[in-house]
Amino acid sequence: MGQPIVRLQDVTKKIGSRTIIDKLTLDVPSGEVFGFLGPNGAGKTTTIRMMVGLMSITSGDILIDGHSISNQFEKAIRHVGAIVENPEMYKYMTGYQNLIHFARMIPGITSHRVREVVSLVGLDARIHDKVRTYSLGMRQRLGVAQAILHNPKLLILDEPTNGLDPAGIRELRDYLRKMAQQEGVAVFVSSHLLSEMELMCDRVAIIQNGRLIDVRTVQSTDKAVIARTLFEVDRPEAALEALAASELTGTIEGAGNIAVEGDKLFAAQVNELLVRSGIKVFGIRAEIKSLEDQFLEMTGGEGIG
Amino acid sequence: MADFMNLIRNENMKMFRRPRLFVMLGIIVGLVIVFSGVWFSVDKGESAMWEVVITETMFLYWIITIFAAIASASTVAEEFSSGTIKMLLIRPWSRSKILLSKYISSLLFALFFAVAFLASLMLVNWILFDLLGNGTVDRLSDVMGVSNIEYLFKYYGLLFLGTMMTVTISFMLSTVFRSSILAIATALFIEIVVNNFMQLLAFVKYKWIDYVLFVHLDLTKYVGGNEYNGMTLGFSLAVLGVYYVLFMVLTWYIFNKRDVAA
Ligand SMILES: Nc1ncnc2c1ncn2[C@@H]1O[C@H](COP(=O)(O)OP(=O)(O)OP(=O)(O)O)[C@@H](O)[C@H]1O
Ligand SMILES: [Mg+2]
Repeated sequence: MGQPIVRLQDVTKKIGSRTIIDKLTLDVPSGEVFGFLGPNGAGKTTTIRMMVGLMSITSGDILIDGHSISNQFEKAIRHVGAIVENPEMYKYMTGYQNLIHFARMIPGITSHRVREVVSLVGLDARIHDKVRTYSLGMRQRLGVAQAILHNPKLLILDEPTNGLDPAGIRELRDYLRKMAQQEGVAVFVSSHLLSEMELMCDRVAIIQNGRLIDVRTVQSTDKAVIARTLFEVDRPEAALEALAASELTGTIEGAGNIAVEGDKLFAAQVNELLVRSGIKVFGIRAEIKSLEDQFLEMTGGEGIG
Repeated sequence: MADFMNLIRNENMKMFRRPRLFVMLGIIVGLVIVFSGVWFSVDKGESAMWEVVITETMFLYWIITIFAAIASASTVAEEFSSGTIKMLLIRPWSRSKILLSKYISSLLFALFFAVAFLASLMLVNWILFDLLGNGTVDRLSDVMGVSNIEYLFKYYGLLFLGTMMTVTISFMLSTVFRSSILAIATALFIEIVVNNFMQLLAFVKYKWIDYVLFVHLDLTKYVGGNEYNGMTLGFSLAVLGVYYVLFMVLTWYIFNKRDVAA
């Protein structure tokens, strides 16, 4: 992990009297795949629009590679590749012409590089067809191609897996991880696909109603951030009392079950305590909470806010 | 600078590599052939080629202005409606320069069509009236007292200034309202008003009438001399210049400020 490539400092966006983004502060270092998670209307796309200078920032600032996106736009955007919402292309041109078009806007991109990127996203067979004839997934691939043409230091992708088939999602995931690890690119991905984020991100920020709720590290090995353990016992009430005596809390879950929150070691300690208190433990079941469960819990699983 | 040329190349690619180019060219060349063909069959090729060229310019040139206005209206509005504007604006180029490349390419498109129109006029009429006919009767030169070729180029230049102004207006409207339909409709409206009603308005005796944009859009009234109905070419150009600067400032200001949520 290196220097922060992108810094959001107290970023606020107001449209009219509505506050859409409220004092968002984030750092993404190079070499990290950073997930940006939130329900519909949370403000993910709005944040990304501000990061690439499409929308003005009401207050606060965004620095990319040390340059302010509002005051030094050309320097800041130089090392950014992005897909904002859907990758819209010129439909009346071929995929190749579209890439040439964007390649011309940045000095130093050779036609060799353009072809290299085309095979990287697996579009060789159709690149000389008009974009009009592309499927959604093919457009998404072309979108990724235009974003990585100039070897950016920061890659911003707004729901990049939208429309990709399982193989495509997997390729993209592997590619993003490789870019981050081998080339030190900072990758900023937004998504609703929570399980997807767990698989590809190092850290995930969760936003809701324009506010940052939490930033957490994803443990890629067991993905279990918080475990909940269910104990099947003969006397649930007595078990809770025994826990309370040691200043621990649990809840009664259905008939003859109590649940405690904590990691594996904690579960073992609870088991020991219960046995010592003369309570019969018939079974122990660990419930692993995925990021998805946590996400739904934190955002209350409510509708679009 | 070489880099900025790349932006113009991009805009030209989007402007010219479209099926509509051939439709527009087809309409223009077709109209010229039909018009000249009818004329030829009526007078058996007696008229001088220049007379036909100038007359057809008077009748048909407005189509060039409309085509140029359509192209300039769609260059910005289409990027918004297709959403490609966000792909375009996230490159290391200021919005002003991107807009400038679009404006320049709009003017190049107008120039291309003006030249294509003139070329097809000259070619078709040269073939018909010079090669096939015996084109000697030249009523225009007799009336105007100037050589036809000089008259033609002056006339064309004045027409093109009007086209540039209309292109600028339609470019502004499409940038401000992000709707090409509105911009094209306005351009059409301007053409109709200027070609049909302005002559009347020029006789209304209010001082402010002299500063109305429409009064000055058709500069061809100065083709015979620098004065017309109490106004001079210089005055008209000055009024147009003020409007031009105003329109350009407004267009660039709005484009730079706008939040892009397409
Ligand atoms: N131009 C706009 N004017 C007013 N409100 C807007 C505008 N753009 C977005 N919003 C509001 O801002 C909020 C955030 O929208 P945004 O598109 O950023 O959400 P999102 O997190 O990307 O959602 P999704 O997951 O559906 O893509 C929404 O409540 C939306 O209604
Ligand atoms: Mg979104």
